[in-house]
Amino acid sequence: MTALRNLVFLVFAATAAACTTVQPWERDLQARADMQPDAHDAAIDDHIYFSKEASSGGRGFAGGGCGCN
Amino acid sequence: MQLKKPIGGSLAAATCGLLGALPAAPVVAQEAPRWEIDSSLLYYGEDGERVTDVSLMVSARRAFDEDRALDLTLTVDSLTGATPSGAVPASTVQTFTTPSGKDSYTVAAGDAPLDDSFLDTRVALSAHWRAPLGESMRWSAGFSASSEYDYLHLGVDGRLERDFNLKNTTAYVGVAYSQDDMDPVGGAPIPLAPMREVGNLSSKAGNDSKDLTDVLVGVTQVLSRRSLLEVSYSYGSSDGYLNDPYKFLSVVDPVSGAPVPGPAGSGLDLYVYESRPDSRTKQSLFAEWRHAFDRDSMAVNFRYMTDDWGIESATVEARYRWNISDRSWLEPQLRWYTQDAADFYRTVLFEGEALPRHASADYRLADLDAWTVGAKYGHRTDHGEFSVRLGYYRQEADATAGVAVGDLAGFDLVPPLTAVIVQFGYKFQL
Repeated sequence: MTALRNLVFLVFAATAAACTTVQPWERDLQARADMQPDAHDAAIDDHIYFSKEASSGGRGFAGGGCGCN
Repeated sequence: MQLKKPIGGSLAAATCGLLGALPAAPVVAQEAPRWEIDSSLLYYGEDGERVTDVSLMVSARRAFDEDRALDLTLTVDSLTGATPSGAVPASTVQTFTTPSGKDSYTVAAGDAPLDDSFLDTRVALSAHWRAPLGESMRWSAGFSASSEYDYLHLGVDGRLERDFNLKNTTAYVGVAYSQDDMDPVGGAPIPLAPMREVGNLSSKAGNDSKDLTDVLVGVTQVLSRRSLLEVSYSYGSSDGYLNDPYKFLSVVDPVSGAPVPGPAGSGLDLYVYESRPDSRTKQSLFAEWRHAFDRDSMAVNFRYMTDDWGIESATVEARYRWNISDRSWLEPQLRWYTQDAADFYRTVLFEGEALPRHASADYRLADLDAWTVGAKYGHRTDHGEFSVRLGYYRQEADATAGVAVGDLAGFDLVPPLTAVIVQFGYKFQL
């Protein structure tokens, strides 16, 4: 797990240095519907995995909101 | 929509007729949708007559302009089936008292003890308002509430976003607070107290509650015309009654692995209710990379989580959106998850050893790995978009180290979990 942690920080550092400025008129691809996260899929997945695993949150609030079995 | 579009179309045609011009497409296109509705029907079913959940989620979004919107979501869950109690199989028939203390049930020799008295309906509601704050900032605030037979959740949350660098960078910070009240069937068990016979509630107390606070800080960064990276850090703190009131542990003989007798006169073997710490602090690091190809797109995300219960977990998810045509798409999805056990996770307790301060045999706190394989298919029509998602979830725990003594060596102490996920979706505009 420690190696995994180091890898994560390495990836974050590398990507942070790789940014270029994209002009507003160059956002056509990123504005496509399939580039937007699906809120329902995310909420349903969070609910299932929150009920079956010890982790929650990350993408959003960890929350609670159920006495899930 | 059925009402508005024909009227708009008729007006456009009438106007064009008066002006003697050809119909102009932009006249219809300018009709901005008032409400966007997203609905999902979920079936989640575990094997071995374990949990089945049928859930309906409906969201409505009213966008007033690019940055101003109201979001409402209603979810109704119906849960049935059986869930592992935490006790381990035995070579004899085992008898347990139901959570209400009014009845008992037996589990056959060699079978995994499941509590099948569990049946619940959950209704959840949330509302959020999002609005601009000056030129480059936005804020949102909302509340959430959910109610179950034995559980009530009330929460509020807020978020602030700011754009930088021609909107190539967006930084955000969010805070959420909730208070959850529990009124377990039969009362909340006293931690590590023994299970009692039918009619004896001396190991149960009354209601309890917990508070949860979450803080989220993140950045979304445009990496190129095609790529986007989101990185966030979250900190969560829970205080209060954090036990699962329906979970307990078997106390077994350290040589034979057989259950030992419970309280005198109870006629039960010895099972003690779980005891978790009354606070928990979690930290997560999350990153998602999204990339657009000319036709398709893909997203990969990773989450690392650690908490002060000794749990560390890693999650990797990937999805590839194959845009088959202008109207149809197929999205294969993969997920892998691994976690270490909580420091106080115990598959069983042994007779004669000092009772630990905290102990839980909840398989969700065990050392486990899980995989999800699935695919989602979507199709757009003139009226909306429907989708169907199929998923297969498999979870395996490693909970036998040091406890497979005597009879226990022959049993699957924490059986693997397999579940099927079927989700139908329909999005449309009003």
